[in-house]
Amino acid sequence: MDALFEFLFKYRGIAFEQGDFAFGAPGSFRIWLGVAGLAAAGAVATYTMARGKSSVLDRGVMAGLRVGLLGLIVFCLMQPTLRISTVVPQQNFVGVLIDDSRSMGLDNEDGTRRSDFVQEAFTPGTGTLFDGLAERFVLRFFRFSDIADRIDGLNELGYDGTRTNLARALDAAREDLAGVPLAGLVMVSDGADNDERPLTEALVPLQAAGVPVFTVGVGDELVTPDIELGRVELPRAVLEGSTLMVDVVVTQHGFGQLTVPIIVSDDTRILAEERVDLGPDGEPVVARIGFELEQGGSRRIEFQIPTQAGERVEENNHRTAWVDVRGEREKILYYEGEPRFEVKFMRRAVEDDENLQLVVLQRTAESKFLRLSVSDSTELAFGFPGTREELYRYRALVLGSVEASFFTFDQLQMIADFVSVRGGGLLFIGGHSAFAEGGWIGTPVEEVLPVVLREPQGTGPQGYFAEIKVEPTPAGLAHPAVQLDAEPTAVSSRWDALPALTVVNPITRIRPGATTLLEGINTDGITADRQVVLAFQRYGRGTSIALTPQDTWLWQMHADVPLEDQSHESFWQQMLRWLVDGVPDAVSVVTDQERVEPGETVRLIATISDSTYLEVNDASVTATITSPSGVVDEVPVEWTVEEDGEYVVEFRPGEMGDYEITLEASRDGSELGRDASVLHVARSDDEYFASARRTSLLERVADETGGRFYTADDVTTLPEDISISGAGVTLTEEHDLWDMPVIFLVMMLLMGGEWGFRRVRGLV
Amino acid sequence: MGPRMVEGELPGRYPFYWTRAVYSGYGRGWWGGRGGGSWATDYPKGDRQFLVVLKRLVRLNAYDWENAVSLADPGIRRFPVIYAVEVGRMELTDEEIEGLRSYLDAGGFLIVDDFWGSREWSVFEWNMSRVFPERSIEDIPSDHPIFSAYYDIEEILQVPNINNGAGGYQTHERDGYVPYVRGIFDDERRLMVVVNWNTDLGDAWEWAESPYYPLEYSTFAYEMGANMIVYGMSH
Repeated sequence: MDALFEFLFKYRGIAFEQGDFAFGAPGSFRIWLGVAGLAAAGAVATYTMARGKSSVLDRGVMAGLRVGLLGLIVFCLMQPTLRISTVVPQQNFVGVLIDDSRSMGLDNEDGTRRSDFVQEAFTPGTGTLFDGLAERFVLRFFRFSDIADRIDGLNELGYDGTRTNLARALDAAREDLAGVPLAGLVMVSDGADNDERPLTEALVPLQAAGVPVFTVGVGDELVTPDIELGRVELPRAVLEGSTLMVDVVVTQHGFGQLTVPIIVSDDTRILAEERVDLGPDGEPVVARIGFELEQGGSRRIEFQIPTQAGERVEENNHRTAWVDVRGEREKILYYEGEPRFEVKFMRRAVEDDENLQLVVLQRTAESKFLRLSVSDSTELAFGFPGTREELYRYRALVLGSVEASFFTFDQLQMIADFVSVRGGGLLFIGGHSAFAEGGWIGTPVEEVLPVVLREPQGTGPQGYFAEIKVEPTPAGLAHPAVQLDAEPTAVSSRWDALPALTVVNPITRIRPGATTLLEGINTDGITADRQVVLAFQRYGRGTSIALTPQDTWLWQMHADVPLEDQSHESFWQQMLRWLVDGVPDAVSVVTDQERVEPGETVRLIATISDSTYLEVNDASVTATITSPSGVVDEVPVEWTVEEDGEYVVEFRPGEMGDYEITLEASRDGSELGRDASVLHVARSDDEYFASARRTSLLERVADETGGRFYTADDVTTLPEDISISGAGVTLTEEHDLWDMPVIFLVMMLLMGGEWGFRRVRGLV
Repeated sequence: MGPRMVEGELPGRYPFYWTRAVYSGYGRGWWGGRGGGSWATDYPKGDRQFLVVLKRLVRLNAYDWENAVSLADPGIRRFPVIYAVEVGRMELTDEEIEGLRSYLDAGGFLIVDDFWGSREWSVFEWNMSRVFPERSIEDIPSDHPIFSAYYDIEEILQVPNINNGAGGYQTHERDGYVPYVRGIFDDERRLMVVVNWNTDLGDAWEWAESPYYPLEYSTFAYEMGANMIVYGMSH
């Protein structure tokens, strides 16, 4: 098609896109318009006067054809030209950016490698593109993957980069060539960018500088047949004995309707195995896999689908993730405003969980409290905590049936801050003195709650009372906190089997942004509104949860529940573990990536707060990094200035294995806290995921910078296209258009058309 | 006093129902003069009287009326604390044995009171051995939390019945000279049954308003009652 266009119009389409159209003949456009008008008038007059046996229609058609012919002749006499800015040979630079990542080593469907194109096109002397570019431009070569740098020759390419970062590559080339006349950049890549940085950040400066990027896509757009495990998201840290529910996305081409196993294992044993039906060809499917992590320490979790016969890429059949399984004992404060059986049965449910310490403060009379499971005789000796420092020692707070007026305003604000500032978990349980019935409307805590409170119709035993049958919502079925059975398909039936509960707080609406996990259907068969049973929302740094029934202990005591049933225990263990999950410490350290390759730069990010969780900017922070071979390195960690309480240091691990990082923070000689983390240094398989050529991304880079996208099949015009792109040092060339073959072709058609018309109409 | 439950009404409006265990036996209870088994001794006046005072002492949102449920009734599982008296005359049926065993295994808490002497002990012990053949009844140590859950109780008093107490006679009955607070524990050493033997807390609760009944006994009885209920609702 392009060749036909070039034959008819003398030049290629890109020349017309880049160039300006003009007329070269002397005289104004109006004069030439007059000449054309006179010629047309003469033609019309001639056909009008010489009527013969022709009809009006005949004369009109013939006059029209003749006017068209005359018009073309006048157009040619006006000397139409195409003005193109063309680069001055050897006065401009072109940066050639070559993808040096591992995905370039993948095979194409025809058996060649993606990287073969680079050798064919850019080998000096023989390369299909090299000579064309070198005779017009001064060339500078770059390689890019996770990093980008200049190279002197193709022999420096190893195709072993662990990531593909197009934005960084464009930035590096632009900055390197900033001081020279730049005609454009050529980017050779499969476009399988797997960095999170937005590409726009790199494209805007190029647009501003008028540097076009010409992209050359290599590799197949569809890798088939192939199965790929999608990204697996696991929490960085969980409590020992936690059950994780993980959604795994499986995409495939060429294996439609096949059933394959997904195997989850750690270093010692298989944790779970789930068979998944792959569904129609090309459509992703989601599999949910649940498994329990029992042993403490940094655990390497492998997800794998066995390689199927004929698969193009084997490396994308498995994913690796790390989880820090913590054996700590998390402290939760449960304040109950009156003797209730929820206290007894909740304590029983979690007493075997060594990772949870449920401290109970139960009001048994005015200003009289029963303290249970406290660490020492002074803990909560004066009742509910009166200071933030005292309250923030707990990672979660459970509030039972207690009226809001029990607390001082400062304590109410403290409870709200416990969630939003300290990042703790708050669980609000139903009861006669809970929610609206407890006067919580209008308090600072109301806003924290995930449910909407409405004015109570009555309070106490004569108020609202209903029996509800609890069932999980679709969101609940996917949430680990309410999974009563390890087998996902059995969860609904387990909930069905549990006895109904009672509620005294009518709650049917949640706040925008909150999620309902459990809801209740009134057993009276009349009430249509469903009771919100369990809902949660993120609030500030923490999570607030509402559990509206008043007697979950019935799931343990009711005669319909078999004695061996563990639903009540599972529910409360999962609830309380969820409540403390992800609750931050005053001092914490993480790495910006959980796994890197040797030599990659890692950022240690520490957040430092005092005991009231106010960020501290003047702390003395030191990280002790121990390499796998035992080499210990102490590095100071500095405040970033941009963020309160955030301290950062970079380092490059050189060894394969796990680096142990401990962080200590102090201020004015007193310790603020310490934390530990683990960095895993291992080989990455990221490049083998989503590795098909991303044409759309490469086209976007070209389109937004004024360049053009090519494939290996149509790349031969690249040198010429760059030369007329208008960037760099250029001179303007004028090219005649009057002798375009298409004009003579149209003239012939017009003349032949008139002759043919006369023959058909018998006017010859 | 609040409204009474009507026939068939679902319990649950109140967090706590003072529930009397109905069991089979050969004694004759009082039940307001209408007779009944030994389970009904002091019923219902004792229950109502106990609740009135208990609610003034403990911040307990309790149902104001008596609530008697058979050990064989599955509905008893809705009341995690139950009270049984005159157990020296009990003779549990197989259904009651099964009901009580599953009740306690599920997490229920039984308070036993008002039986005296070695003969009645033997009857009670025999019935409990049918419920838990593998478990024995043992003394509860004085530092057990049941003695400090609400009041700090350092000495176990022998609480006489109304006639002996108001009349100024001996505090014991038959050969029950020494009062005991004993218990049955589960495998996790959690107290399931608290046994008040050679004492009559129920009469002290029932007749606390009598000017003739010694205050020290009713005071101790209420202290013990508050402790047992607060403990049973939290442990």
